[in-house]
Amino acid sequence: MEVVQHPRPAAAAVPPTLAGVAGGRDVRADLDEVFRCHYQLVVGVAARVLGSRDQAEDVAQDVFLSFGRSSVPLGEARGWLSVAAAHTALNLIRSRRRRVSREGIVAADGDAVVSDVAEAVVTAEERSRVRTALARLPRQQAVALVLRHSGLSYAEVAAALALSPGSVGTTVRRAESALRKELNRHASSD
Amino acid sequence: MRHPTEGVLRRLLDEPAGVADTDREHIGGCDVCVRELAVVRDDADVVQAVLATEVGVTADVDLAAAWRRLTTAAAASGPARVRAAAPRAGRLRATLRRPVVAGVAAAAIVVGAGAAAAGGWVQIFRTERIAPVSISAIDLNALPDLSAYGDVVVTGDPNVHPVLDAAAAEAETGLDLPEVATLPRGVSGEPEYQVGGEVSATFTFSEERTARAAAEAGEELPPPPPGLDGSQVRLVAGPGVAEVWEHGTGVPTLVVGRAVAPTAYSSLPDGVSFETLRSYLLSLPNLPEAVAAPLRTFNAGSSTFPVPVPAGQVTTSTTTVHGQPATVLATQDRSMAAVMWVEDGVVTVVAGALDTDEVISVAEGLR
Repeated sequence: MEVVQHPRPAAAAVPPTLAGVAGGRDVRADLDEVFRCHYQLVVGVAARVLGSRDQAEDVAQDVFLSFGRSSVPLGEARGWLSVAAAHTALNLIRSRRRRVSREGIVAADGDAVVSDVAEAVVTAEERSRVRTALARLPRQQAVALVLRHSGLSYAEVAAALALSPGSVGTTVRRAESALRKELNRHASSD
Repeated sequence: MRHPTEGVLRRLLDEPAGVADTDREHIGGCDVCVRELAVVRDDADVVQAVLATEVGVTADVDLAAAWRRLTTAAAASGPARVRAAAPRAGRLRATLRRPVVAGVAAAAIVVGAGAAAAGGWVQIFRTERIAPVSISAIDLNALPDLSAYGDVVVTGDPNVHPVLDAAAAEAETGLDLPEVATLPRGVSGEPEYQVGGEVSATFTFSEERTARAAAEAGEELPPPPPGLDGSQVRLVAGPGVAEVWEHGTGVPTLVVGRAVAPTAYSSLPDGVSFETLRSYLLSLPNLPEAVAAPLRTFNAGSSTFPVPVPAGQVTTSTTTVHGQPATVLATQDRSMAAVMWVEDGVVTVVAGALDTDEVISVAEGLR
């Protein structure tokens, strides 16, 4: 399996509002505690965007390095990490660093329960389409969608993205509708 | 009434409590909204299924390996260095200043047998039991200052630091970490794992310095036995490991610690025994009680290690744990309790903001 090495996220890899706090200072003292609490969540957010656990763990490494040098309050860590993971993963798709063929390889590695090779290929293609469409969504929609499906509450999504709680549902709904249309469009053309 | 927005319908699927009663009542009685809700639900389910394809495998992420990778990357990426251990060590040091925990820590002192043997040291003590020694809180909190009687050279760095999990703790210390079968009421969650390395302290008796200290205090120095000058006693602390459950406020609610049981070595001139040194030190004027009290019970040939506890603040009793005699400590205000015992040369301590029955129950349940 190819191992994709990603450079450490530049300022663009984290949300603009977060970029200013990541710098060359010493790593914060509570990093291990935050890491233990949220590592699985961060990998899950990135995996939903990328469809690859290996790449998601690469993203998580970069996100925690950025967090370690930030002064983000501990109480905001969960939201910050989730948003940073989603942005970093979406940037990977958008910058086309990730090879499309990797989807198929990962699927064949046994992560999905599939009955035969043909079904695996279809599943991989479908997921690839969804993730390409995800990267085309307005960034806030895409991030809100991924955060919500990663288990963050509406209030947490709202706080992390500076949205009103009432608008989170609308944002998530629009993203899901757009992705469903993308799936249906390809399904009807098959 | 206008139909609620798609956003309201979407939230109704996830967080019905976040949707206004009026909207819920409308949706329930409106065919248009019910049909729209079904579409919204269907889209949400499909997207969830597609996005979640990879997520199932994140349940078994290797947290320890990921943390090692992160710390390596952080250390290699410029001036930033992972120093997550620092505040925890500071908090542990603060905890150790508490009299009861200080006594527990004293029980964790161990001696490096290999290093001692290589230097011609003679084992004079190996812990098989523990006994409390009552000392006033003032004396206990005052660091014993032995510089008036000789040199104390501390080598090594305890480097008390957190590790990611039990496996890492065991690998670093070589100790089998006890597993708590049932947590007492009020204690929950996963523990933090702290480990500490070996530290040695060597005391070298100085006749000249002792005489000077006595003169400054206006006391007459008892005549030292011949050849006592230069006698040495060595203690080596660590390694040890602790599982710490904390309350949300950072206060430890349960600590389970384990360390190689203390042993002591001496390197004495010909014709001088440890007993000679001990008796002479105890005869010195102004010997700090924090030194004198343990020393009185620290007999060569004995196997009972003295654990200083603050007089009037801690009650002590005995019990058995896993068939071994154990010492139970409890603060007078019943806010903390501890039980400790020695088995096969290893001392185990269970302590916390619990009552004595609870710490004994945890101790009996250790696997």
